This record gives sequence, C-alpha cells and structure tokens, in this order.
Amino acid sequence: MNKSLDPRVNRLDLPQGELTPKVPLDQFGTFEVFVQLKEGKGYRHEGSVHAPNIDMAFLFAKEQFSRRLMCAGIFVAETRNVFVTGFTEDKDSIYNHISDDFPEDGEIENYEVFHLNKRGKQHEHIGSVPSKNHQHALAQAKGEFIDGPPVFNIWVIKTADILFTEEEDMIMWNTLHEKKFRDASDYKAADKIKAFKERQQ
Amino acid sequence: MYGGGNTFEPMKATGIENEDPVLLAEFEARIERGEKIEPHDWMPQLYRKQLIRMIEQHAHSEIIGALPEGTWITRAPGFKRKLALMAKVQDEVGHAQLLYSAAETLGKPREQMLDDLVTGKSKYSNIFNYPAFTWADSCFISWLVDAGAIVNQLANARGSYGPYCRALERICAEESFHLKYGHHCVIHLATGTEKQREMMQAAINRWWPPMMHFFGPPDKASVHSEILMRWKVKMSSNDDQRNQFLDMYVPKIWELGFTIPDENLKKNTVTGKWEYTEPDWAEFKRVINGDGPCNAERLAVRRTAEERGRWVRKALLTPKTEYVTPLA
Repeated sequence: MNKSLDPRVNRLDLPQGELTPKVPLDQFGTFEVFVQLKEGKGYRHEGSVHAPNIDMAFLFAKEQFSRRLMCAGIFVAETRNVFVTGFTEDKDSIYNHISDDFPEDGEIENYEVFHLNKRGKQHEHIGSVPSKNHQHALAQAKGEFIDGPPVFNIWVIKTADILFTEEEDMIMWNTLHEKKFRDASDYKAADKIKAFKERQQ
Repeated sequence: MYGGGNTFEPMKATGIENEDPVLLAEFEARIERGEKIEPHDWMPQLYRKQLIRMIEQHAHSEIIGALPEGTWITRAPGFKRKLALMAKVQDEVGHAQLLYSAAETLGKPREQMLDDLVTGKSKYSNIFNYPAFTWADSCFISWLVDAGAIVNQLANARGSYGPYCRALERICAEESFHLKYGHHCVIHLATGTEKQREMMQAAINRWWPPMMHFFGPPDKASVHSEILMRWKVKMSSNDDQRNQFLDMYVPKIWELGFTIPDENLKKNTVTGKWEYTEPDWAEFKRVINGDGPCNAERLAVRRTAEERGRWVRKALLTPKTEYVTPLA
C-alpha cells in the first residue's frame, strides 16, 4: 500500500496481506437504555447499546445518549431481562388482555413498569409494583394503571436487574453546559460574510 | 450525518408475488395512513432486506466517513477547531451505533454488519474513498458533504420504518452543529489571506465531482423503485436530492467568491431545476467497486482496528451477557 496521507495511518504500520480471521459472533450482549432529561421528569427509553457487562453498558449509554441535551439520570437493563407483552392498536389497551392470574413462585420484589402510549414513540417509565414475578407484576400494574389512556405495549423489568445512576455519578454531567462547541449557536459568522461582501464591492 | 442510503444497487426481483396478499394490503394501508412500521409488525421480505441494506450502508458511511476527518484532528488549526472536530467525529461514530441498532431490529446482528464492512461485502458512501489532502478538504467535508447527507437524512426521516426514523431524528438534531461548524471553517478561509482562499478553492475543485456523485446515479424508472417509494423506504429520487442540494448550497459557495468547476452549472429559471454536466458515472462505478484512491486504506484501517482491539473485547467479555435483538 502507498504511504498514507494520514500520519496516524502511517504510524499504524498496517500489516501486509491477510489478517487472522475473527471468530464469528463473539459479540457482546445488548442493553436497553433509559434517560431522564430533567430531575423530576420521567425516564424514557432511548435506545440500546452493546456491552460486555452492565457497568460498561452504563458508560457506553452515557457517551451515546448524554452528549448533548441536559441529562439528569440514566439507567440500563440487559435486553433479555425485559419482559415484553403483546401489542394492541387503536383504542384497545393491552391491559384488557392481561390475565389476573399469575404463578405463585418467587419472593416479593419491586418491578419497574413501562408503557408505550403512542405507536411510533418510545416506552416511558410509569412506576413500580411489588410482585413475585414478571407475570404477577403485570397483573399488579393492571390494577394500578388500567384507568389511564390506552396502553399499546408494556415492558416489565425487575428493579434488581437495573443499574441506576447513583447520586455520586451525577457529577459526570456537571460540565455538559460548558461544552458550547457542540452547539450550532457557537458558530455565528453572518457578520464575517457581510463584511466580506462589502469589501468585494 | 454522512448519509448514503442511496449507493445500493437495485435488486433484480421484488419477490412481492410470494407475499400474503391480506397481510401486504394491511401493511400498505398502514403506511398509507402515515403510521410507522415497527419491528414486531409483519413486513414484506423486500422491505426488510432493502431497509437492512440501506441503514447498514448508512451506518458504515458514518464509521468510514470519520476517517478522512479524523485525520485532521491533530492538525486542525488551534485548540477550538480541534475540540470541535473531535466532538464532530465522536458524533459520527455515535451515529453509526444508533444506525446499527436500528438495522439490528430488522434481524441482522451488528457484528455481522461490521464483518460485512471489513470484508468489503457491503458498501459505504463512495465519497469517502477520496483523500483529504489539506485542512480545506476537511472543511469541505464538514460543510458540504454533511450538507448533502442532511438533505438525504431529512428525506429518510419521513420514511416508514419507526426505529430508523427515530435514529435519524436524533442524528439530524446533532447535525445542526456540524453544518454550522463546517460553514464557519469555510468562511474563515474564504475571508482570510489569498493563500487560504486558494487552498479552499482547490479543495472545492477536487471534491466537486465526488460531491455530484454523492446522491447516486439518476434513478431508472422501475417496478422496484416504484414499490420502494410507495412503501416510503426511498423518499425522493437521487436527482431530486441532488437538485435540492445544489439549490441550497451553490449560492452559498458563490457568495463566498468561489467558483465551481462546472461551466454548465446554472439554474434553469423556467423549470427551477439546476443544469449541470453529467458526472462521470463510469468513474463512480469503478470507485465504488473498489478501485478508488482510498478504498484499500479505509478497509485496512478498519480491519486492523478490529484485529488489534480483539484482545480488549476478549478481556471484557464475560459469559454473563447474551446477544439478543434490541427491542425498539
């Protein structure tokens, strides 16, 4: 290969010829990320990250979802720990299809409940219910939340399966408002163009 | 922001005749009503395939597009430009992650996509197969390549696939800084010394042909593209996007006293469309198929990063997590 224009690429000392093929599908697990934009506001699903463990997932989530807007908190849960119901449409709430029966096994623990309130939007955290298992949590949520506007899909996550932002973690967002260079308003140049045009005349 | 959901070659058969007519009618009615399609919804094979290709190529373009700009971080003039360029390149890589996640909801794992990138099986935006010789080249990319991508992304954000639209909304919001930053850099050179102006003009001359290639060759009228338009996978034709780009940015380039290396470039006042010399599509084809100035280097850098980073991933990997398709 010719010498690169990129000094960093030249320093890489790119090997000639074939590289060792990689082992297929050794990829990391997936985690769902929930973000709170302001203190006191609810948490909303923002997307997913790939990570080897939940602590790294939290870090990746911070990099991926809190570079711009103010962020008061993030939490992450492994995708396979999210219990998902079926979907309904129009005015039909999914709660109408949730059974009041549930298996009796398990100790009482907290479960977090998330609602999809509008098709095409993101799931929002609605509250938590003490339950024995995911199915029980759904039945409990039905009792508590069925009277609201129709819900089209529900996620339930055991609270213990979630990594929350600790009070002491929150300093990582302290400098966010100083990073004006990430904001379009920091690049005003209309005066320069105007002065340039006047010089041309 | 590097766009590029338009470099794919059309498929030969649509396979639409093998789909269940009742489900297909419901699917089309949903799109007709302006609703989004979500991962759990039924969708035709062609829709799924084409979206995976499109979103995946878009994601690859973000990763590869970060290379020619990333080159200039250490040599960007001054601390402020370094900070800004670093933030921009970080954004682009973040955009790739958002897009890979959106594509994954359609059933292709991220790792498979990254593999297909380094083996050369899937494509990325052709413009990044050209080198950034000077700082002005990097300014051209930040301003005008981003601008082209925004035209493309704003169109796609009105498409029908929910996860892709949500990723694009996020991406477009972050892009506004890129565009302003790029314009700011170009204005600085344009209003600077004679040498700075010459450098910028040389960059425009170099990048104009690939910029004209950026939106892809004129669409051929076909059943295939008619279906994709109806399903809101493809939101506007390549020529329409090119025209929109010219309409928005040619006056801004001229206003800075630069010339564009195409003597036929002018707006037809009757049709309202831009006229230009048809770009060299044979070159476009040649470069996209691997024979461009930087194709080999771009892929070698990715492959090497993959290989040399392998021990880190291995060290981090615990058998406790498991790959499953993301939810939304």
